[in-house]
Amino acid sequence: MTQNGTVVRLSGVRKTFGAHTAVDDFDLAIEPGTIYGLLGPNGSGKTTTIRMMMGILLPDGGSVELFGGAPDFARRSRVGYLPEERGVYEKMKVLDQLVFFGEIRGIARSLARTRAEEWLERLGLSEWASKKVQALSKGMQQKVQFISTVLHDPELLILDEPFSGLDPINQDVLEEIVLEEKERGKTILFSTHLMEQAERLCERVCLISRSRKVLDDDLKELKRRERTGVVAVEFEGEAPPVATWPGVSEVEEAGDAFHLSLHDGVRPEEILGAVLSEGVSLRRFELLEPRLHEIFVRHAGEPAEDDAPSQTGGAS
Amino acid sequence: MKQVWSVIRREYVERVKTRAFILSTLGMPLLIIGIMAVVGFVAVLSEQSERQIALIDLNGQLGERVQQALDRAGYDVELAAPGTDTEDLDQQVLDEELEAYIVLDDTTASEAVFAYRSKEPPGGVRSQLMRAAIVEEVVDLRLGQLEDGDSVRRLFQGGSLEYEPVGLDEAEAEEAEAERITGMITGIAGGIILYIMMLAYGAQTLQSVLEEKQSRVVELVISSLRPWQLMLGKIVGVGAVGLTQVAIWIACVALLASLALPTLIAAASDFEELAQFRQYLPGPGAVLLLVVFFLLGYFLYSSLFAAVGAMCRNLQEAGQTQAPLIFLIIIPFMLQMMTFQGNNMQWMNWVALFPFFSPIMMYPRAVMGDVPAWMVAVSIVLMALTVWGSSWVAGRIYKVGILSQGNRPSPRELLRWIREA
Repeated sequence: MTQNGTVVRLSGVRKTFGAHTAVDDFDLAIEPGTIYGLLGPNGSGKTTTIRMMMGILLPDGGSVELFGGAPDFARRSRVGYLPEERGVYEKMKVLDQLVFFGEIRGIARSLARTRAEEWLERLGLSEWASKKVQALSKGMQQKVQFISTVLHDPELLILDEPFSGLDPINQDVLEEIVLEEKERGKTILFSTHLMEQAERLCERVCLISRSRKVLDDDLKELKRRERTGVVAVEFEGEAPPVATWPGVSEVEEAGDAFHLSLHDGVRPEEILGAVLSEGVSLRRFELLEPRLHEIFVRHAGEPAEDDAPSQTGGAS
Repeated sequence: MKQVWSVIRREYVERVKTRAFILSTLGMPLLIIGIMAVVGFVAVLSEQSERQIALIDLNGQLGERVQQALDRAGYDVELAAPGTDTEDLDQQVLDEELEAYIVLDDTTASEAVFAYRSKEPPGGVRSQLMRAAIVEEVVDLRLGQLEDGDSVRRLFQGGSLEYEPVGLDEAEAEEAEAERITGMITGIAGGIILYIMMLAYGAQTLQSVLEEKQSRVVELVISSLRPWQLMLGKIVGVGAVGLTQVAIWIACVALLASLALPTLIAAASDFEELAQFRQYLPGPGAVLLLVVFFLLGYFLYSSLFAAVGAMCRNLQEAGQTQAPLIFLIIIPFMLQMMTFQGNNMQWMNWVALFPFFSPIMMYPRAVMGDVPAWMVAVSIVLMALTVWGSSWVAGRIYKVGILSQGNRPSPRELLRWIREA
């Protein structure tokens, strides 16, 4: 299922809660068939942005478009939305709950049941189908919630922090599903404060810091552009005096390897000349790509990990 | 609409399945039956006696009559031979050969005062039954000596006030009387049903809204449903649960009544009384009116309860916030109780026009014929308008409230919610 035209478009969006500006002057465009990551620390405005996409919050300024129009009811029903605050009907049985969600998302009861059973099987929850949700662990509940967002086979998945709270095995399962949905032509937007996750999955990322967009780019492109000219080398046997090589400005030891910072204008290949003239044998020679985390720190000037104070009122 | 139906079904099925519902629905009738059974059983048990009770007649007129009367009341007593020594009987009581003996003497024949001689005092039930049996025999005996004994006996059955409506013939008057009694029964029963439904099930709507808000599941639901659809589904679903409960209770009463009916038929020597019983059943008009008042009253209150649920963060907050609504339900109930006790003042008819009071106050008045038809019509129109207005307001509060996790709104903020939703 592919569609032409931008799936989500935000233009100059602003949202304030009292004196606090949660999102300011925000532009965003998500093209069909991509995996889009919305990155930023807690309290940076990710959830507020997503809620505005879903029409749950109305922006104080700017415009929000979903599938080329206002995020009205008909358009929202084409979205599978997993909110950050994940509630369940604790006293309902797992399968009953999924069938209910399928129904209110507009698919027939019998179809909802079949699909729910398939998904439960897929996520290893079959034997829990007739248990009450409150008997499940938090991680399992989260998987049930995920199923409820994809049950009606939506064109666009908007997942707010889908990986938090899952153990590594289930994170992998979810990553796999996200990639599969993309293969099936779906568009996926997810928010996370975990940069590694985003690095593995996203084709395009948007970095938010302090209510403002900092970066919005293709991930590969971004990394190429942000490359700082550091070369990692590792040798078999005795290491040569790398610091004295021409073109090297700085050396950092990292275990067995050396990270060589090069002078401006020095191409990495030139280092290979020095290696050859030294007559040492090379185990590794790599152009180091910056990690997303470093890029974030470089642009936002604050740690991207989970240590920013979160905003009150759940309106982060 | 299909989605509203799903919400209704979920709300209904999940509620009817709960232990609380099953217990309260079946528990209530079972509890009443149980209490009645225990009381009856204890009474019977305390009347069972292994030892003999004797009867001695020193007067000579009452002995056999009283023995038969006590026999009818369930006591097997032995009539002592004339001339038996009471000291001998005392000895038998002391030796526990006799449990007790009753002494009938001249005072008994004149004043129905008799001695019950035993080591233990008689229980309440026994005192009452024996006294009643003996008094009746004494009265009979004394009346038998009078010429117009029968008319005096009727006197004892209590006279009666016979209302004679001026300007109606006898048949019309009878019909009017039957209608009045029917109206009374229907009015009281209907008033109580409306009261329970609005109070108990209105409050359950609040709980249901609050649960969804607190568990944050509402955000998952609201992405596929319009808020009013969710609110409507909830109100209807919870209301259906309440109706189910009332229906089960009515069915229980009907079942008990039909079990008791053979006894009633046996007791009523002629079938006329049974036919009379039937004429007291409410007509279709009264039932239809009950449905109208129920729908309007329940919608009015449950939508406001839903709004209160959406405004609050937890049950404690909700408890305070819902107080005005609870008062609005309890006050007319109190006023109506006064009316049922016969203190109906004309100005209360005007109070009953207040839409928030109408379900509980206007419905009984309507079926009892205490108010003119135009007033009932006006009341229904006023209620419909109020439901329309209040559900509009409630819907707006609900829409904003369910997704707001902040403090309970001040009146001013509430107005802003209503304006801007």
